[in-house]
Amino acid sequence: MSDPAWRDSRGRPAELPGDLSSQEEEEDGDSDAGASGLDSCSSAGSDTDLEPEWRDSVQRNGELFYLELSEDEEECLLPETQTVNHVRFSEKEVIIEEDGTRERKKYEPKLKRFTKILKSKKLLPKRHHKKSSSDNGPVSILKHQSNQKTGVTVQQRYKDVTVYINPKKLTVIKAREQLKLLEVLVGIIHQTKWSWRRSGKQADGERLVVHGLSPGGSAMKSGQVLVGDVLVAVNDVDVTSENIERVLSCIPGPMQVKLTFENAYAVKKEMAQPKKKKTQSSTNDLVKLLCGSEADGIQHSILDTPHITMYLTLRFQSEVSKEEQEILYHYPVSEASQKLKSVRGIFLTLCDMLESVTGTQVTSSSLHLNGKQIHVAFLKESDKLLLIGLPAEEVPLPQLRNMIEDTAQTLKFMYGSLDSAFCQVENTPHLDHFFSLFFQRALQPDKLHLSASPSAQQYDAASAVLLDSLPGVRWLPLPQELKSEDYYDMRRLYTILGSSLFYKGYLVCSHLPKDDIVEIAAYCRQYCLLPLAAKQRIGQLIIWREVFPRHHLQPPVDSDTEVFQEPEGRYFLLIVGLRHYMLCVLLEAGGCTSKATGNPGPDCIYVDQVRTTLHQLEGVDSRIEEGLASSPGPCLSCADWFLAASHEKADSLTTSPILSRLQGSTKTATSPTCRRTFFSDHPFKARKPSPSRGSGDYEPGEGGEGIGPSPHTTPAAVRKQRESCGSEDSMALLKLARKKSTLPNPFHLGNSKKELSDKELEVYNTMKLTSGPENTLFHYVALETVQGIFITPTHEEVAQLGGSVHAQLIKNFHQCCLSIRAIFQQTLKEEKKKVLHGEDHSESADSVSSLTHVKEHGVLFECSPENWTDQKKAPPVMAYWVVGRLFLHPKPQELYVCFHDSVTEIAVEMAFKLFFGLTL
Amino acid sequence: MGDEGAGSAVHLLCLAASSGVPLFCRSSGGAPSRQQLPFSVIGSLNGVHMFGQNLDVQLTSARTEDTIVVWKSFHDSVTLIALSSEEGASELRLERMLHMVFGAMVLIVGLEELANIRNVERLKKELRASYCLIDSFLGNSELIGDLTQCVDCAIPPEGSFMQETLSGFSEATGTAFVSLLVSGRVVAATEGWWRLGMPEAVLLPWLVGSLPPQAARDYPVYLPHGSPKVPHRLLTLTLLPGLELCLLCGPSPPLSQLDPQLLERWWQPLLEPLRACLPLGPRALPEGFPLHSDILGLLLLHLELRRCLFTVEPSRDKEPSPEQRRRLLRNFYTLVATTYFSAEPGPAEKEEDTVPPAQSPRACYLVLGPGVGWQLVALRLGLRLLLLMLSPQSPTHGLRSLATHTLQALTPLL
Repeated sequence: MSDPAWRDSRGRPAELPGDLSSQEEEEDGDSDAGASGLDSCSSAGSDTDLEPEWRDSVQRNGELFYLELSEDEEECLLPETQTVNHVRFSEKEVIIEEDGTRERKKYEPKLKRFTKILKSKKLLPKRHHKKSSSDNGPVSILKHQSNQKTGVTVQQRYKDVTVYINPKKLTVIKAREQLKLLEVLVGIIHQTKWSWRRSGKQADGERLVVHGLSPGGSAMKSGQVLVGDVLVAVNDVDVTSENIERVLSCIPGPMQVKLTFENAYAVKKEMAQPKKKKTQSSTNDLVKLLCGSEADGIQHSILDTPHITMYLTLRFQSEVSKEEQEILYHYPVSEASQKLKSVRGIFLTLCDMLESVTGTQVTSSSLHLNGKQIHVAFLKESDKLLLIGLPAEEVPLPQLRNMIEDTAQTLKFMYGSLDSAFCQVENTPHLDHFFSLFFQRALQPDKLHLSASPSAQQYDAASAVLLDSLPGVRWLPLPQELKSEDYYDMRRLYTILGSSLFYKGYLVCSHLPKDDIVEIAAYCRQYCLLPLAAKQRIGQLIIWREVFPRHHLQPPVDSDTEVFQEPEGRYFLLIVGLRHYMLCVLLEAGGCTSKATGNPGPDCIYVDQVRTTLHQLEGVDSRIEEGLASSPGPCLSCADWFLAASHEKADSLTTSPILSRLQGSTKTATSPTCRRTFFSDHPFKARKPSPSRGSGDYEPGEGGEGIGPSPHTTPAAVRKQRESCGSEDSMALLKLARKKSTLPNPFHLGNSKKELSDKELEVYNTMKLTSGPENTLFHYVALETVQGIFITPTHEEVAQLGGSVHAQLIKNFHQCCLSIRAIFQQTLKEEKKKVLHGEDHSESADSVSSLTHVKEHGVLFECSPENWTDQKKAPPVMAYWVVGRLFLHPKPQELYVCFHDSVTEIAVEMAFKLFFGLTL
Repeated sequence: MGDEGAGSAVHLLCLAASSGVPLFCRSSGGAPSRQQLPFSVIGSLNGVHMFGQNLDVQLTSARTEDTIVVWKSFHDSVTLIALSSEEGASELRLERMLHMVFGAMVLIVGLEELANIRNVERLKKELRASYCLIDSFLGNSELIGDLTQCVDCAIPPEGSFMQETLSGFSEATGTAFVSLLVSGRVVAATEGWWRLGMPEAVLLPWLVGSLPPQAARDYPVYLPHGSPKVPHRLLTLTLLPGLELCLLCGPSPPLSQLDPQLLERWWQPLLEPLRACLPLGPRALPEGFPLHSDILGLLLLHLELRRCLFTVEPSRDKEPSPEQRRRLLRNFYTLVATTYFSAEPGPAEKEEDTVPPAQSPRACYLVLGPGVGWQLVALRLGLRLLLLMLSPQSPTHGLRSLATHTLQALTPLL
């Protein structure tokens, strides 16, 4: 790669990390902003000749997991780590703590990348040789870095300071005057001549003494760079006054850069006591977990809890005398788990014996270990056995069953079969990571579900118990919509089977068959991608891997209904995340496209096209956000209102908060239209068709159809329509949508959704789930199995209903739903059996008398406020129902509602109201 | 085995923990081929449990798709293993059954024999006497005390009169522990009898109910809770067929002292009320007690007194059969006890002592699935827990009020 090319990419903010920040520039009112939309597209196009950052992260087998936070996230991470560092570095000796290493590790890919660039430019001198030869005195911190351990002290001669460097600043300033990069980027002032005179050294290779710090510069912000320090290396590249400018000019984009300084005054002092347990930001943890670098460190706290996963074989090869040969895989390696590992003989025996005695497979077992009850779930496949053991108090048995099935399903989705997942040595680190995330979610759910407000966090943690086990995706029904992502022409290598768009962890729309979306959602869940997207803006997330969707790979059971035979091919999952968006695309190779051979890595074109799509959706997020805030779902009440009201014993009070809430919600119901007009004024620059996307991006047939608006412009068209007709005229819109949905375009399945969402808009004002004058609904979860989606109140809605009782209620609701669902699952299983065996089974007296045919189950709870201080009066009591209803016909649906006891509700009616119009 | 395995079978294995020698195996239900487990299976079932114990890991249960296995070892000398493939089998049921079975073993042979097994062969022989009692736990009993760990009761029509006579009789014979049983249910009992500890309060009526009918018995029993090592005498006198008078006493009085004359003097005046008690066996409630016509089955528990009323007799003529109703209620009780009212067993803890959880379940209901539509409702009020089975025509939203009314009506009885 030639020099000018690099300079070019550096100079233009449209480089990938750069265009993430383009929005910020917009906010700043930068004059540059106008071009950014276009720019991002064109840069995406030109990325093919530029090497994308993620290119280096692609693994040998073609897989890619690349995550980069957006700039503001990174910057907000920075101060925290610096304070930690600051305390440490002010002392004489250093304790390199985990958090330090973690921080470094997190940025490692970038550092590596940068180093690589330097290498390629032959700018990387033999620093390490030099160090080892010349430095035989104090241990270099750089050398030490290779094997950092907690509590190791090194002499503080060199210090590493990580600063955030954004070369984009350059472009703004550069115009004014030609400044030194060291000063502009890092904020270190070094006066060559002055120092030359003083030290009397020769000009070339002069030491970079810090003479001053420019105010507001990264170096000053870091608080670790002192006047008098000597900058010796940037990202382990030795620097002198001679090459510093060149080295700095190679920084391609905004990133963390490690500066190594030599301490000016090496004094020896007492070592300070280690800093107290770090208070890392939550987002940090999540990211780290995801990156897999420091999962073990975080997991340390749960190591005492006995938990294990094992993959055992029931077949013994006597000729191979390997120790523990029956264990194909196990995780984690901890003392508490060791015990469980040591009794694997029990599991093997049980698995084999009970199957032969009862004729059915072992599903689970319970044992007591150190006074704790542990459930172990079994999953047997041919002659292999997958085991997951978790304490009963953390994970109840029905949940554990769901978890192991979910895990197995995801692993099969990722690797094709459990065997190929566990039996290949190179997968082991991946699996370790997978299971560390898994146990993290199981044992410390609240750690992963960290969000800004504690209430939302509680909600997350509480609901995860139930929602994680639902075979579906949380769907956000939007009143109006944005469409279709998969209209690009990709016939060369892969066929796009479908795509689904997530926003903040909510499925916004999907064009995937149910099984696929469920599997993809499970994958995202296992890797905590959904909470990630919800909590922070992803700078860039690219995941590429071969997947094995069950739905496509299994021959259809009832061939009579399926005339279409799935082509034999390979399937690839591409997930691109950008800010709060995540677009999952399922690609097919083979069939009508070229056969995939080897381990193909992600193709830039596809990545870019998906990214472009996401860029186009940029303007819509405010609308989705709005949908999140006031979704067309039913209104909710807060439990605390009822409690307060009954306490006051004033009937007027009972109604007033609820009524006000109702009014509030109707207000929000009407407000979208006003806001919509406001937003339509907003310039949608990203929406403009970019030159790079040309006409080739449209379906060829569609171009000829003059009437059919291209999907690309559909949202805009609708919006325009809205603007002209005025917001009241929803009938016209409805017609418009209807007309559109009749268009014979197989790619526009999504249009039907628009029709429905418009309908929903109409029924919106009447959307009160409960009967009676008051709104008594507290919470709901509705699962639609045909499409693999479920809806719940959004985080925003729940957050609006703060209150200690309500938070408890929600937690309780989910716990209860879990047990209700366990009963429903039995019913479903029974039903499946019946279908398999024909009707003869149903007459058996046994099945009639057992509780395996439950269609509705309700539990009444009573609650009273926590700290009730009034001794004279008994605390007020509020009663509420948690009701689950299972529908088998025409399609399996599950509904869970929680409502106040005051009104008698008929679950069927509520379900009808809720499911009405719930179509993806 | 799958299909032809023919539904439900319950196996109970008892092994000496130290030697691994099977003490007995009892089975019920299922096809004849499944009557007896092969020894290899018994051996490995015991083996896995023992192996875990050596490593300080207590294996408690295992589940396959249709079977549950529960292990329980008592006093480190006896291991009981229950294997059930009944529909709706649950750990709770099997665990409680094992406790009952061990209680029954103690009741017959005493704890001393069981805790230190010296002579396995002799113990085997002695345990034979407990088979009929143990088998009654495996089969489908009309009673529910084994599951609820509450004494099955029946409400006599003229309770107070009967109670007085019983007290007088107990004074006359010098035994504090006297009760009147109708087919395993306690119709009336003295204060002393009600104070019997837990498992024997349930076991003694079961024992009397499971023994073949006899005019009078003098039966040595150990009380698993009260006196597991010193035997007492259980005297039974049949007043009317199916109606037995039970006395628990020490060496005196001898059975001969309870001659027909004594009985006649006390019980002759009560002949009519006693006759009226006879049909109480399955019905538990006196004739004419007002119950809603939708109620098909009823289980009322008093959690502190540990007594329960259980009947599936109302509206006999309707579907389903009493047998099915019983199973449904048993299964429903298991569900409710495991999931919602799990803190319920344990008479020691009182409502006031423990801080009630902020959100506690009060009631729940089930609507059974397609085609059948029976409804089950459970309601807890104070120390009472009521479970009802209702016919499909009863409106779902009215379940709770129906249950509340029924509970209020039943409150004076228990």
